[in-house]
Amino acid sequence: MDGARGHFSRNKNQYFLLALLMLLIAGMSLMAPGKFLTVRNFKNMGFQMAEFGILAIGMSVAIMTGGINLSLVNSAMLSAIAGAFLMRGMNEAGGIPDLVIIASGIAVVMVVSILCGMINGYFVAYVGVASLLVTLGTQTVFNGVSLNITRGSGISGFPELFQRIGAGSVLNIPYTMLIYVAAILAAWYLVERTPWGVSVYMVGGNEKATRFSGINTKAVLMKVYVFSAVMAGVAGVLMVSRYNSARADYGSSYTLQAVAATVLGGTDINGGSGHILGTVTAVCILQVVSSGFNIIGINRNITDVVTGFILVAVLTINYFAARERRHKKA
Amino acid sequence: MKKVLSLVLLLSLVLCVAASAETIVVMPKLVGIPYFNASQVGAEAAGKELGIDVIYTGPTEGDAAQQVQMIEDLLIRGIDCLAIAPNDPDAVSPVLQKCKEANVLVVDWDTTAKGGDVKYSIHQIDDKAYGEFIWDKLVEAMGTDSGEYAIVTGYLTAANLNTWIKYGEDYAATKYPNLKLVTDPVPSDESAQEAYTQTLALLAAYPDLKGIIGISTPAPIGAAMAIQEKGLQDKVAVVGSSMPTDSAPYLKDGSLDFGILWDPGMLGKLTVYVAHDELNGVKIENGMEIPGVGKITLLDDGKTIIMGPPSVWTKDNVDQFKF
Repeated sequence: MDGARGHFSRNKNQYFLLALLMLLIAGMSLMAPGKFLTVRNFKNMGFQMAEFGILAIGMSVAIMTGGINLSLVNSAMLSAIAGAFLMRGMNEAGGIPDLVIIASGIAVVMVVSILCGMINGYFVAYVGVASLLVTLGTQTVFNGVSLNITRGSGISGFPELFQRIGAGSVLNIPYTMLIYVAAILAAWYLVERTPWGVSVYMVGGNEKATRFSGINTKAVLMKVYVFSAVMAGVAGVLMVSRYNSARADYGSSYTLQAVAATVLGGTDINGGSGHILGTVTAVCILQVVSSGFNIIGINRNITDVVTGFILVAVLTINYFAARERRHKKA
Repeated sequence: MKKVLSLVLLLSLVLCVAASAETIVVMPKLVGIPYFNASQVGAEAAGKELGIDVIYTGPTEGDAAQQVQMIEDLLIRGIDCLAIAPNDPDAVSPVLQKCKEANVLVVDWDTTAKGGDVKYSIHQIDDKAYGEFIWDKLVEAMGTDSGEYAIVTGYLTAANLNTWIKYGEDYAATKYPNLKLVTDPVPSDESAQEAYTQTLALLAAYPDLKGIIGISTPAPIGAAMAIQEKGLQDKVAVVGSSMPTDSAPYLKDGSLDFGILWDPGMLGKLTVYVAHDELNGVKIENGMEIPGVGKITLLDDGKTIIMGPPSVWTKDNVDQFKF
């Protein structure tokens, strides 16, 4: 372990990211005067950011163990489609109160998500296949099942009340933001304040040594993939509410972007270190760039180039900072 | 220090009223296919003629979720009207509600949208007449009204395509009872390449296939490519909604028999004119004349506007059209 000096330089990364975020907000505000720095825009970004942010958190925890969860978005949509089918069926049957329909739908989404997570967890933890391979396989399976069930089209026909989850707000704060903040707090607490969280870092650092030290690494990993899947389920509910329909291909670009947000936030791709809050800041950075450029009117493709540039720049700076840390110790 | 800075930034939020030229957003299902490139030309030309700001923008794929996000960001920018051709009418219904709350006029064009308060639905043609016309042309091209046929469509959720298919199938059920549809409409996701692949699959699975209808502009082209490759011009008839310049080579060699469409540039122009008139209090009436478009029809529901009758491209007339 790095000890005090390591902890400080890890936090230096976090301050650097925050400063970068502030800089980008200031920059966007200057380039779109009177439009970016408004309550309306921040509220709008709050609506959009939540579903991606929650997925990114789910991805981060998997990466912290030295693994990855490529099936994240596909399990979100599969569970969302299952819930959507139920809600549509109950809505068409008539006579069932809206709240019951919505609650049942959400319950189904979470149950199916957890099942997907357990499938991943079983193969990674108990069978011992590399997570990259397992989740690559499950990604294809979940996607295939989704497409088969929906035949490529969208499922809709939910009670109108359901849209309120994705569209409603209280005191100008979108419900989706509140759910996102709750997810952040839960993740932060579980990962950085519980024994399970410590084991997550340890497994990411050196799985064998962790196992020999008496920790049940299989249980730890299973919980990681279930947690990841729970995040996916929540994101799935938000997406279905915002788009008022469930389709197999919603959010397909989110998978790799979630990995990008994770590493941008300071998590080592090999596992063993990282902060939930780092991922959250990175998600904010990506959102600010995307919304800002849309408002200014810049081509979508340039947005991708700039995002990639920021990612490479931050990773390079992190690399050199880590090297300097190692030299100072020696 | 940084915490104070961020607090200050957040506390100094100011609501701003954007006073600018009249801004109409025309959003297609996706950008980059010839049909929607042609509508862009018409829409932007209308903008220049009227002296207003026309923003023609859309997602790079037929992705309903991307459309929603773009509309949300455009609302921040401040617009007067949104004219949308949605990929999935259900997916945009929540965001059209947001448009309504922001007092943005919403009209749909090319295909219908749900939700919010869509003031006008701008259709290029009468849906029922169009669907039936395509099926009539299929039978004409097949040379017989009995035989197997298949449908290649765009996205399965596109409302306009599904409407035409439904009218066509209903019509065929009574008028052409011996016409047999071999399977459900096959999606090609607005890609000629995909339509080509799907047509090859259909030809392999149904060797007695006599006709193919391509609905959505890249589909008949893709189907014709497959027919041309297999040399089945005389065995299988292909008709569909395709653009004349794309259709020309296939019409000439017989792999495409009829292209049945309208002028999408005119549709773009009509959309902007209708939006502009509505924003400026000009009443839209049945039979009124729109510059560059002609006389339009307003149906009794007060909402649906029909541009005109369909046009047919054949190997004899296709060279007259430049879009």
